[in-house]
Amino acid sequence: MSTRVNPDLRNELLKFGIGDWNACYHCGNCTAICPLSETGFLFPRKKIRLMQMGLEDKLASSVEPWLCYYCGDCSETCPREANPGELMMSLRRYLTSVYDWTGLSKKFYTSEVWELSFILAMAAMVVVFFLKFLPAMGYTFTRELTTEGGVKINSFAPPDIMEMLDWIMAVIVAGLLISNILRMYYKIVWKYTNTKVSLWVHIREFWRLIFNFAVQPKFSKCGSRQYWLSHWLLMSGYTIMFILIVVYLPWFQTEKVLPWWHPQRSLGYYATFGLLFGLIFVLVGRLRRKSVKFRFSHMSDWLFIVMLTLTVSSGILVHLFRVNGMAMATYVSYIFHIAILVPMILIEVPFSKWSHLAYRPFAVYFQQLQKYAVPRKGSKTTPLWKRSG
Amino acid sequence: MKTRQNTGLFFLDPAQQKSYLPDYKELGKYVLSLDPALQVWFYGDSPLTEKSIREVILARNLDQLILAGEMPGLMKPMFVKCMEKEHKDGTQVCLVSFRDYGIQPGQEDRIRQLLACVIMDVPYPFAAKPDEVPVNPATLVIGGGITGIQAALEIAYANFPVYLVEKSGTIGGKMATFDKTFPTLDCAACILTPKMVELNQHPDIHLMTCAEVTGVSGAPGNYRVRILKRARKVNLNTCIGCGTCAEKCPASVPSEFDAGTTTRKAIYIPFPQAVPNKYMVDPTACIYLKTGKCKACVKACPVPDCINLDAPDETVEITVGNIIVATGYRPFDAGRIPQYGYGKFPNVVTSLEFERLLNASGPTGGDIHLRGKDKKGIPVFTTDEPKPEKIAIVHCVGSRDKNYNPYCSRVCCMYSLKLAHLILDKLPDAEVFEYFIDMRAFGKGYEEFYERIKEENVNIIRGKTAKVEESNGKLLIRGEDILKGEVVVQKVDMVVLSVGMEPSDGTFELAKMLNINVSEDGWFQEYDYNASPTDTLHGGVMIAGTCQGPRDIPDCVAHGSSAAACVIRSIMKGSIPEDIREVTLKRVEENIKKMLEVKHPGP
Repeated sequence: MSTRVNPDLRNELLKFGIGDWNACYHCGNCTAICPLSETGFLFPRKKIRLMQMGLEDKLASSVEPWLCYYCGDCSETCPREANPGELMMSLRRYLTSVYDWTGLSKKFYTSEVWELSFILAMAAMVVVFFLKFLPAMGYTFTRELTTEGGVKINSFAPPDIMEMLDWIMAVIVAGLLISNILRMYYKIVWKYTNTKVSLWVHIREFWRLIFNFAVQPKFSKCGSRQYWLSHWLLMSGYTIMFILIVVYLPWFQTEKVLPWWHPQRSLGYYATFGLLFGLIFVLVGRLRRKSVKFRFSHMSDWLFIVMLTLTVSSGILVHLFRVNGMAMATYVSYIFHIAILVPMILIEVPFSKWSHLAYRPFAVYFQQLQKYAVPRKGSKTTPLWKRSG
Repeated sequence: MKTRQNTGLFFLDPAQQKSYLPDYKELGKYVLSLDPALQVWFYGDSPLTEKSIREVILARNLDQLILAGEMPGLMKPMFVKCMEKEHKDGTQVCLVSFRDYGIQPGQEDRIRQLLACVIMDVPYPFAAKPDEVPVNPATLVIGGGITGIQAALEIAYANFPVYLVEKSGTIGGKMATFDKTFPTLDCAACILTPKMVELNQHPDIHLMTCAEVTGVSGAPGNYRVRILKRARKVNLNTCIGCGTCAEKCPASVPSEFDAGTTTRKAIYIPFPQAVPNKYMVDPTACIYLKTGKCKACVKACPVPDCINLDAPDETVEITVGNIIVATGYRPFDAGRIPQYGYGKFPNVVTSLEFERLLNASGPTGGDIHLRGKDKKGIPVFTTDEPKPEKIAIVHCVGSRDKNYNPYCSRVCCMYSLKLAHLILDKLPDAEVFEYFIDMRAFGKGYEEFYERIKEENVNIIRGKTAKVEESNGKLLIRGEDILKGEVVVQKVDMVVLSVGMEPSDGTFELAKMLNINVSEDGWFQEYDYNASPTDTLHGGVMIAGTCQGPRDIPDCVAHGSSAAACVIRSIMKGSIPEDIREVTLKRVEENIKKMLEVKHPGP
């Protein structure tokens, strides 16, 4: 297999993050101090080596960046201050753009103009939909309240139409994401023609995918547990909210104000708490810049946090206004909520930071597949994971 | 008069301290009086931007730039970039750094001299040549390590008087604590102690132990030095060194000489071969000096009036012509690296502690034993503990690491190899692991020594040790073997941290007193790295040994002799150049004129 060298790879990667990576003198400190590095899957030094040599294809087919949860020990103790942890973070951004076949991901990561104009265009479409399209269909907003004193939100934004749109969006996002994951699978597992992975291994190891998606056990081994906990709260809150909105919207979006212990409200409250806790943790961390994990914030990190914070806070406002019977305020905050939510999901999930929700558990799964890869008949080379260097 | 067309002179003061350029307008006038064609700008009040520089270059069509300021080198890349963007030659940016020439704030005439030389294209050291002044034949050597001893002896061999000032109670320095030297594996004490004794007995050397330099005044050739002689509390002339006082002394503290591996009394001899071999009192440990009650040593002493615990410190003043600074280094404090667990695990030891452990006069009489705990729970080396079977040696502790010291300490690789050899010498069945980043075996016989150690079955692993952990009483040492590409976790009994060198305490204070510079890393700054490594900017002040930068024993000895040669040169000549700061602007201008009149043969 011929190997292509890209001498400009470092400069390309520098668009995805900051680091003095050429300063590395390969002492191996980062790999040895990493709590997650294991035989066959050594990082970050090996990735720095690939980056320094410009081996694009090898980087694109490496699973290790997704196995790193950025505790920052490597960057903290690096004798050359070469910032290996940030290289792994930048590689995750880079790999997201490599997996993405549309090319939009690279544009969003490397150009603020592209990203912001895309967001604004999406938000404008949402606002036009609410102010022009829905009234034309006969759904108008009114100051009147229902007989029980509830806001007539369902006559303003009919849950059946909203749910249909939710599903359309979900299908688009899932389609993009799945096609990217297939590309990831091709690059990581399939491309090595000298090894093969049996179907049985695919099935046997599948549970790891689900388990890693739900619990992130590797993350809990990485640095302080509080990062894992806050991330898990954020993630579980988000997942519950996502299911409530996409799958059970007619049940979730009601005009009637239900008691607080009702699952419709209590689940929503838990999800809001999880989201808020995780968000405040990340916001404070990124602003204080004390831990290495939060020291270097890329534009995409900030955009993600800001948009999620706006979505959550506007969602809370919608709820407060609705519970207190403030009709107009509910409608305005509802439109704002959707105008942020739609571009956030459409950009972040398939093209940007949020895609890690799929890539990380799949990477753990693919890592297992690589471990059980066997040489093809006639191939004398050792399996990838047994090779060193 | 030569004129420079299309040349821009920029005064830079980015920090806006105005300490160097309080009156830049006057400076500008002076520069224009030398060469009216020059174009002068001052940057300091407004921030320096690429745009403004490029505008100036374009508008005035500048082909050459002169940047003058405290440290204009910081701004040079920006100007070079601007020149290149305007399609000019980027190499035509030259620097006039006030710092580099040792100019201090307020010395405006020296700034003028420097600018005049640059504008007239005359080398500054030729134009600003100081006068010669008569020199006092006496010399002061600060520091009694191997460098100081060597320098003092060399000067004394030439029959010139030497004062040697040593902070601790004995001369010998760090070398006295070593067991063997590399690469010859000679006994360190066998080389050092004859020199120490010779120094003490030499009639031309006046040795002052427990003494510190507290003030220096005067000019090259004639310095007045104030020395604080801290009271030894024991009469040097009458003490017979019998040791009865130390037997009776109730206070015991960790011994500095044994790197804290043994204890000594409050009245003590630093080590058996100390010079002068007389007892001394540690005022911070003495119970009488702390509480006013005890005097056990005074009662025990067989010589009348030998110990006087109330003896005061005294200050003496001496006049010398030259000063040799040989203050040496301080070993890196391994406790600063938390992941190595020094101070937490008793069997993680520094190389200096291990050196004492190997030494026949060390805590276990030269046998290698693990560090256990005494009755009070304090870690100590005793012969009751088992011998280690596996020992790991970690290189580059505190060196070549931007978190601590970015420089290479130069000696650690070689002494680590030496330690590996000595371990196998004493414990032939032991396994030794060396973790290194790059092996720096750079001197005569060093590479051969490395090859020899490799043949002795030492496991030499390329890769920095990341951390040391404890598990079931054993130490786990974790590092990546980068040649194999795998993480190696090794179970060992003992970890030796090869600590690097740092400038010794008080380097800054001494530099201030002597009016010499300290480099970025904290070592004393030499006049010229290649051509005059022992001279400083201040005439008559030499630096020698590890206070100038990390070096090993042979280099220290050579450096000490080299400094001594410089001193003897000035004494034999009878005169020494006066301080360059005394040179007047008028003289420099005259010199420039003279030099420009000389017809150059041309290329």
